[in-house]
Parts: sequence; structure tokens; C-alpha cells
Amino acid sequence: MVNTRILTQEFDYFVPETIRETLELLRQYGSEAKILAGGTDLITQLKQEKISPDYLINIMKIPELNHIEETGGLRIGSATKLCDIKEYCAKDRKYTALYEALCSLGKIQVLNMGTIGGNICNGSPAADTAPPLLAFNGRVKLLSERGERVLDLTDFFKGVNNTAMAPDEMMIEIHLDPAPDDTGSAFTKIARVGADISKITCAGVVERHGDICASCRISLGAVAPVPMRGKETEKILQGNRIDTFLVEKAGKKVAEEINPIDDIRSTAEYRRNIAATLFKDVFWKAWQRAGGEKR
Amino acid sequence: MATGRRRKEVRKQALNVKVNGEKHELLIEPNALLINVLRDELALTGTKYGCGIGQCGGCTVLVNGEPVLGCLTLAVAVDGADILTIEGLSKPDRSLDPVQEAFLDHSAIQCGFCTPGMVMMGKDLLNKNPAPSEQEIREHTRGNICRCTGYTSIVRAIKSCSK
Repeated sequence: MVNTRILTQEFDYFVPETIRETLELLRQYGSEAKILAGGTDLITQLKQEKISPDYLINIMKIPELNHIEETGGLRIGSATKLCDIKEYCAKDRKYTALYEALCSLGKIQVLNMGTIGGNICNGSPAADTAPPLLAFNGRVKLLSERGERVLDLTDFFKGVNNTAMAPDEMMIEIHLDPAPDDTGSAFTKIARVGADISKITCAGVVERHGDICASCRISLGAVAPVPMRGKETEKILQGNRIDTFLVEKAGKKVAEEINPIDDIRSTAEYRRNIAATLFKDVFWKAWQRAGGEKR
Repeated sequence: MATGRRRKEVRKQALNVKVNGEKHELLIEPNALLINVLRDELALTGTKYGCGIGQCGGCTVLVNGEPVLGCLTLAVAVDGADILTIEGLSKPDRSLDPVQEAFLDHSAIQCGFCTPGMVMMGKDLLNKNPAPSEQEIREHTRGNICRCTGYTSIVRAIKSCSK
């Protein structure tokens, strides 16, 4: 692994002030360019010579990409800093899973630098915001000079460090479903120490009608080439009366459904074992929150 | 594997920053990292280069009042910013900031390498929350790694500045 005190690679640097200007640059330089949206991951990759762009386009000075608003769900601009989203979510804790993910993500300095778009556009299977965004049924708006498209996050992640974003496209916004009062959500992460990259993460959003789980979305990170939804697990729970037996059964399904690998942070076996436990923790927390218990 | 290469003459860019209250106008290459500009161009060597990949927090400086990692920040990206480094904490008469004094009083320094980053995080926390709990201090400094002093005395030092 290369890690030098200086950046040895040379590139031209652009700071567009509008989306239009950015799209023009992307059309012109596309595959030779990288978008800089915080840099905690991008600069690390540059230092380690994993990437070698000829152009860097810093989108942090574009006001339209920096916003958080609640209109028909939660809309977050792609270049919105993680610390600002955390602060917003802390207010009413409606998007608890996202809040908990941001609390556990890296260090304060990284929250001050990193953006939500940066966190997911790198396509890391371990991106901490990915499971909560998936659990809130996240969609992303991508724009290029060819036009606009909206993708489900499940279709956006394509593989390790690989997304559906074309070289001339940029991410504008992430849109989450509303979080009404009869829903609850939670996020849990296993990592070696507080500010480390995750071994495994899990998020869940549950809609509760009395003892019935009306609907739920379960998602996991760092257990497959992409952050994934546990759709088979969701089927077991949806529309059914919840008891410990059913949640136990769902936990077994989670362990089956994921596709983890051995790597520097954990073994696949460990990840399968812990996934069931992690899921159960997340589910019960979300379930209690959906029932109006204190967040 | 990509290597450092000189593709063409990359244009140097103007960088206007205020560092510790003093204005600077520099001409830098786009790939210059903030920590190297501070250390090599401005001779502010208090900020330390530790791991270089955002794991240790040793290079923490405040940019527009918020702590960031100097080793993962492109200097061109902070054009126009107001930067505070460890050197900017002491007063013009060279007397130390209360957080620095507290680190000395509580022996929260052994080799001293993590100290500038730790002090900057302590200062940042106290700016926002004048009376932090021990838990809040540990939470705020969780991204700053120390390998010899031990965290107990560091936490104690910051706690002693709590109002």
C-alpha cells in the first residue's frame, strides 16, 4: 500500500458554482474526472494511488446541492455535509436509523468534511449511511446533459466501488420516504473501535399496527458486494403478528440471505453469526419505537 | 497501478487564506495538501502528520471554526477560509491557552505527537459546549489516537477546563 506525505498525482482542479457548469465539465472530461464532495475517501484513494483522475471537480461550492427539506419525505442535497444531516435528524429523531448511523460514522472531523453523496457514490459496501438510506426506501436523482433519472438505491449500487452512475452524471439529491408516527427505525454497527470502518451494519424501518408488522424494510452493510436489502427476511415479517419465535426465524433468514466474505476486518462465518443477532437488536428497537416508546 | 506522473504543466492556483488571524496569499499546485502548505509554506509545524489517511486525527486544524483533517484536505479547497492551528491558540504575548495549560497541569503529554490534534478537538468541544461531560469529551475526541500518554489524563485535562 502506497501512502506518501504528498499527493504525487497531478490534476487540474475546478470549482464550479452551478450545476450547469458541473455538467458541462463532466461532459467534457467525464471518465478522466472525479467529483470531490468532501474528500475523506477520495483523497485517501488518491494517496494510495487507487485512482488517477486528470481532473477534480469540487462540487462543495454549489448552493443547490446543499439542502435538507421535508416535502413528501426527506430530501437531502448530495453535497450536504454529514454533520448538518446529523444535526437535522437529532431534532425530532423521525429518521432515527439515519441519525444513529451518522453518530457511529467515523470521527467528528470526518462528519465535518464528508457529504452524503460522497458516502454513497464511492460505492463502498461498508458505507454507514447506505443501510438507513435503503431502509427508508431511498431514491437518488442523477443528472447529466442527457437528462435526469431517478434510481432506487437498490439499483444504484452495482458492486464493490461500482455504482450505476455514468461518467457524465452527477448526483443531485437523495429522497427518503416519509416517517409517520406508526413507524420506527434503528441502526446498529459492529466495528473494532468507535471511529473504525464497519465489520457489519444493519438498519430497519418498521410500520406497526398493534401487534402486526404492517410493513418493514431491513438492510445490511458490509455483508455483500453492495449494501443490500434483506427482502426474504422482510417477507417473513410483513403482515404478521410479531412474537419472539417469528423474529428468531427472521434472524435465521438474514444469516442465509447475506453473502459475506473473509477480509481484514472479519471472517464470513463471524459476519453470518453476528448478522442474526444484529438484525434482532435492530428489529426490536425499531418495533418498540414504532409503538411510541421513548427513542 | 497508477503512478505519479507529469501529464502536462499543471497550473498553480492562487490561495487566499487567513491563518491564525494573519492573511496569506500563496501560489500553490492543485495537489498540495493543507497540512503541507501549513507546515512547509507557512512554517507552522505544530500540526502533525501522523497516518496520512484520516485515521489518527493528528493533523486536525479548525477551518472556519470546524475541525477537519489537514492530511485529507486539498489546500485549494479551503480558498477564502479562516484557519486556526495550534500556534494560533497562544496569545501574542506567547502565553498559552487554558486548554494547553490544562494539558501541562494534568501531564496529558508524553511524546506530544497527538497533542496538537487533541488540544484542537478539546478547544472545539469547549467552544460549542462549555461544560462537557466525560462521555462527551471521549465522544468528541474518539477520532484522535494517542499511543503513549493514555487517554485518561487527556480527558481529565479537557474536563478541567469545563465551566
